[in-house]
Amino acid sequence: MSTPLLEVRHLTKRFPIRGGLLGREIGHIEAVGDVSFKIHKGECLGLVGESGCGKSTLGRSLLRLIEPTSGEVLFYGENILKMDRTKLRHLRKKVQIIFQDPYASLNPRMTVGDILGEPIDIHGLANSRAEKKKRVAELLDHVQLSKDSIFKYPHEFSGGQRQRICIARALAVGPEFIVCDEPVSALDVSVQAQVINLLMDLQKELDLTYLFIAHDLKVVEFISHRISVMYLGHIVESAKAHQLYRTPRHPYTKALTSAIPVPNPFHKSQRIILKGDVPSPISPPAGCHFHPRCWKASEQCSKAFPEETNGGSDHFFRCFHPNE
Amino acid sequence: MSEQGLEKVLEVKDLVTRFHGEGGVATAVNSVSFDVWKGKTLGIVGESGSGKSVTALSIMRLIPSPPGKIEEGQILLRGQNILDLKESEMRGIRGNKISMIFQEPMTSLNPVFTVGNQIEEVLHLHQKDLLSKADRTDKAIEMLHLVGIPSPEKRVSEYPHQLSGGMRQRVMIAMALACGPDILIADEPTTALDVTIQAQILELMNKLQDDLGMSIILITHDLGVVAETCHEVAVMYCGQIVEFADVHTLFSSPSHPYTKGLLESIPSFDSTVDKKEGRLPTIEGMVPSLFDLPPGCSFQNRCFNVSQKCRGSESPPSEKLEKNHIIRCFHPVENQGERTHP
Repeated sequence: MSTPLLEVRHLTKRFPIRGGLLGREIGHIEAVGDVSFKIHKGECLGLVGESGCGKSTLGRSLLRLIEPTSGEVLFYGENILKMDRTKLRHLRKKVQIIFQDPYASLNPRMTVGDILGEPIDIHGLANSRAEKKKRVAELLDHVQLSKDSIFKYPHEFSGGQRQRICIARALAVGPEFIVCDEPVSALDVSVQAQVINLLMDLQKELDLTYLFIAHDLKVVEFISHRISVMYLGHIVESAKAHQLYRTPRHPYTKALTSAIPVPNPFHKSQRIILKGDVPSPISPPAGCHFHPRCWKASEQCSKAFPEETNGGSDHFFRCFHPNE
Repeated sequence: MSEQGLEKVLEVKDLVTRFHGEGGVATAVNSVSFDVWKGKTLGIVGESGSGKSVTALSIMRLIPSPPGKIEEGQILLRGQNILDLKESEMRGIRGNKISMIFQEPMTSLNPVFTVGNQIEEVLHLHQKDLLSKADRTDKAIEMLHLVGIPSPEKRVSEYPHQLSGGMRQRVMIAMALACGPDILIADEPTTALDVTIQAQILELMNKLQDDLGMSIILITHDLGVVAETCHEVAVMYCGQIVEFADVHTLFSSPSHPYTKGLLESIPSFDSTVDKKEGRLPTIEGMVPSLFDLPPGCSFQNRCFNVSQKCRGSESPPSEKLEKNHIIRCFHPVENQGERTHP
């Protein structure tokens, strides 16, 4: 197989907890623990998990918006974590990110024209003012916003339109890979569908690769080719999108998929209701992090963390007692 | 909307709530009528700005005034119009006969009081004569036990920050139910929670309803939650109830184009096989501003079924399609047979 567009090897991020008189490190939170995966060109990898499972930290670590503690992130075989400033700046032309909250991620004092023009200026992608203007118009066209938006400010737009501006800004530098960090969570259902369609169209049109982070499993299933499920900093299962939902092997994935309310009153689902909350990442349970909430847990689960098992046809999971 | 053998607890009739702002007048709730039956759950669904929360706040009479005002209509609690009550009398109803829980359990609990203290406060306000201080503490522990909080004797003296989001929402429910209200209004109670915790809370609410026989008004934007918990559903758009039906009718034969569009735009697991080629059906455009609604039907600019009539000066009236199925549309969608939505 060809070199993957992005390969992550044993990525770990620990946040220190400081305390005491001198602010010494008294412990750490392992937000991302030993995560490895590959994304091939044109693919969309979905990353799901509950709040606090480390999915956003992982997404940001890939762009070095958060410096990972250890591990490797290879972009076309080159380690991003070893890059110097100049190289990293060039990388930013290839790798972009879209954030969750379109209200907070746009500068309220800049017009849309300026917002979209800024990355073009920074990377010197336009030789003349006319060329820049043309490029901005092209971007607005990509995200289906009208041309007169250039002179408007973010507050004049609705949530869905603002997210379109964020998408246009990410596209301004002509990236190959975009990290979408909960891009539709803040939007209403009918608008959500519009933005998802837009992202899928753009992926085909511009040959983009996505890492799609979300907690809404239905959305992730719709847009992704492969899905990884995270729990307390670790990827516990990953498989092809339809496979993961039809035959979840890890009990957590099974509980997660069964917990989603089904919009059909005639359907009575066999719901697995997990006991308790997600444990604190400061002191995660020993062994498999999921064992205190798991109905299949045995003695073994509280002692060792299960290794990654290959269940065949690209289906990986970390569990001692997988579902058949 | 008649249902035999059931007691009508709350009746909302032609409610109109307006906000007077600098930009003009916004009719956030526009002649909304519905009934709430004993022991049943009414779901109110809609997108942000559709008026579902304002409807709930109107029932509680918690609309900030100015700029808001309940201008027309009646809210009958067991036959008594609560809009005629004095503020002091209303205080006797809030938290006692009608309780409300909110979306954000982090901000709706007071951080400087223990959770026990906050539950006892409700009892102190409404049942001071019946319960002594010691009784109130016991009752607080009992309530925490009822909502499934482990070791309630210990938790009763903890502060909100010591609890997780799901636990805080349980505390909110315990507070709301402490006086045994007739109606619980839940405004997006699970939106801020994760799916596994959402499942726990919804199960708890269903169980408590079975045990205590209260009525619930559940406000949500998630049609999945509606399908799993509600008996009747009102779909709101721009301040109006555009469709009202029992849950089975609504999901099997949605008649308003908006309801149909909403149902179709939810991705589902067993949708299309080769979905990577497919697209999600969407509702074009966006919700218009309440300050600037078009004349006629407010959904006209996003509707696939629009005609000249919809753009006229008359907004579509409430019409009864069949028993217990009410719709505001000139051109209801024809439903051939049973729909097989997920």
